[in-house]
Amino acid sequence: MTGPGAQPGTWPGAEPGTGPPTPPQAPPGRRTSPRIVAVHTATFRQARQLVPALIPVAAVVGFDDGLTTVVVLAVAITALSLAAAALSWWRFSYADGPTAVVVTRGLLARSVRTVPNDRIRGVEVETPLLHRLFGLVRVRVDAAAGSVGVNEEEVVVDGVPRAEGDRLRESLLARRGSAPGHASAPADGVAEELPEEEFARFDNRWLLYAPLVGSYLVVPLAAVGTLFRFLDELPDGLVPRLDGPDLSDVQVVVVAVVLAAVLLALAAVVGAAVVNWRFRLVRRGGSLVAVRGLLTRRHTELEVDRIRGGTLSEGLGMRWVGAARVNALVTGLGQANRRGQLLPLGPRSEAEALLRRLADDPGVLRSHPPAALRRRLVRAVSAGLLLTSAGGIATATLGWWWVLAAGVALTVLSVPMGIGRYRSLGHAAGPRTFSVRSGWLVREQAVLQRRAVVGWQVRQSVSQRRQGVATVVACVGAGSGGYAAVDLAAGDVAGFTGAASSGTWAGTLAP
Amino acid sequence: MSTDAAAPVRDPAWSLSRSAIGLWITEGVLGTLLYGALVAAFVLFVPVGGPVPVLRWVLPALVAVYAVVAIGIRPWFRHRVHRWEVTAEAVYTLTGWLTRTWTLVPVSRIQTVDVTRGVLQQLFGLATVAVLTASSQGTVRVWHLEADVAARVADDLARRAELVRDEAT
Repeated sequence: MTGPGAQPGTWPGAEPGTGPPTPPQAPPGRRTSPRIVAVHTATFRQARQLVPALIPVAAVVGFDDGLTTVVVLAVAITALSLAAAALSWWRFSYADGPTAVVVTRGLLARSVRTVPNDRIRGVEVETPLLHRLFGLVRVRVDAAAGSVGVNEEEVVVDGVPRAEGDRLRESLLARRGSAPGHASAPADGVAEELPEEEFARFDNRWLLYAPLVGSYLVVPLAAVGTLFRFLDELPDGLVPRLDGPDLSDVQVVVVAVVLAAVLLALAAVVGAAVVNWRFRLVRRGGSLVAVRGLLTRRHTELEVDRIRGGTLSEGLGMRWVGAARVNALVTGLGQANRRGQLLPLGPRSEAEALLRRLADDPGVLRSHPPAALRRRLVRAVSAGLLLTSAGGIATATLGWWWVLAAGVALTVLSVPMGIGRYRSLGHAAGPRTFSVRSGWLVREQAVLQRRAVVGWQVRQSVSQRRQGVATVVACVGAGSGGYAAVDLAAGDVAGFTGAASSGTWAGTLAP
Repeated sequence: MSTDAAAPVRDPAWSLSRSAIGLWITEGVLGTLLYGALVAAFVLFVPVGGPVPVLRWVLPALVAVYAVVAIGIRPWFRHRVHRWEVTAEAVYTLTGWLTRTWTLVPVSRIQTVDVTRGVLQQLFGLATVAVLTASSQGTVRVWHLEADVAARVADDLARRAELVRDEAT
């Protein structure tokens, strides 16, 4: 068994004879900083995987509620965590060679992952809080590997000093640029001096939108849920006996609800601030660079050549105050929702301006035929009608009039929803780009370059055929994989697909 | 079927071989046998005074309806709907029987071409050609071609995709 540092001459992936004309420059395997052992020990990063194995052991040994057992257990787990962290640090090495990145790891079974430089889609440098205390960063290398699972596409080098992280990122991005097929890339070292053009900068006033955004509300709600579960599991002796407030008093309930709403809103604002603190999006040469975060500083780089368009999404609450978010659609990007985010939260005008920079304006959206409105209404109302008819029977047989009332209320409320869903629908095809929009709870408009389309799918159910409409999906190798124009007039399908794809191949669809 | 005026796009030119009908009928028979066995087990082993007595009559009736549809109607319906075509620029299919799906993929964006032969397909000498692109939703499957046709189509598409491929994303 030889340590990875002891074999500088052999470098997997570099085959003798096929290398570049310069003498073989197999780089030595680099190590991460030993300080990362401390970080991983503290966070139980490796030891976490051992927890399922520990539970049966603990069950066999048995718990008596003595303090010594707890202390011994804590010490044992920490020691185990230290050992696991040290082992995995010792067995980890990485090398950024002229043609590929190679990461070697694994305790017993050695795994060597080689990612060719031209497969690298982006490099992300992040700094969690604990890493920052130790002056370390974590580098994620994103590589496209077709349809392999998300986590398979990623190489993570965890725990290198700040300067080494920056060097690694720049060298990887520069090499990727000089790889064949990327003629317009900057030469090594130039990346530093390239002028920056600022695309967006977070205004702290935008944080006020956060309480109306679902995803920022979910986090505090989940935290509250976890807290309650935790309190439930604590032994009764540890929970102080408090007399619950008198719930029959209306005033108390109202105050409690208002207080909870205010706390929730505050938590959403704080959460949004933590994630998006000092967000900045700049274009530097051929890349878009986004930096953000208060505790964990995240640095994401996207290649402009691979951007095929973007989505502008607005939730129900966001539409109310005119807020929106923008994501880029990048080919071959894993975890696109997080990484492609170009404007996490901001006013609609700002979001639209940013979207225009990704893809030209395809023009005003055209609305869909009246049949689409009928279909949305029927769909929205059907659940309510079902409940109403069930309620009718229940009232007649059991006297449960409230079922009927609930059914009627649901039916009446779902009418505006159906109309809203119809109003969201739209499509447009411009000279170089096209756009589709749908959704009500979260309305999403996708604007795509014509070259993004890798196929068309047209679907028509029996009822759609009767009503003369069809759903058209533009298949795209980015984002969610397909963007649909729902309930287009059947006669418009061939025209739209022809106008929205590059080349003449879509003419095959024309009747 | 007769309301062609409502068809949103042109139908592909070629229909499938009639062996496909035999294969779909076989699938229908196998499905009916499976459901029939399940329902028979239910009727035999659940005591007469069971929770929902109506089920003893409804379930066999449902299986009978399924048998008529899956063996007597659906195979012919599908054969009339399913069509495919390979043009100079694209692969084009129409599938489904109630809900119809037209899929078009240009040759220049093809990433891989697969030919698969299931157990039943081998009995009937058929194969499926799957054309994959960079999009998870942009996959074209031409079901139940004769095996030699499928092999020829796959070879031809793979060769042409190699020639005209631009970025394929």
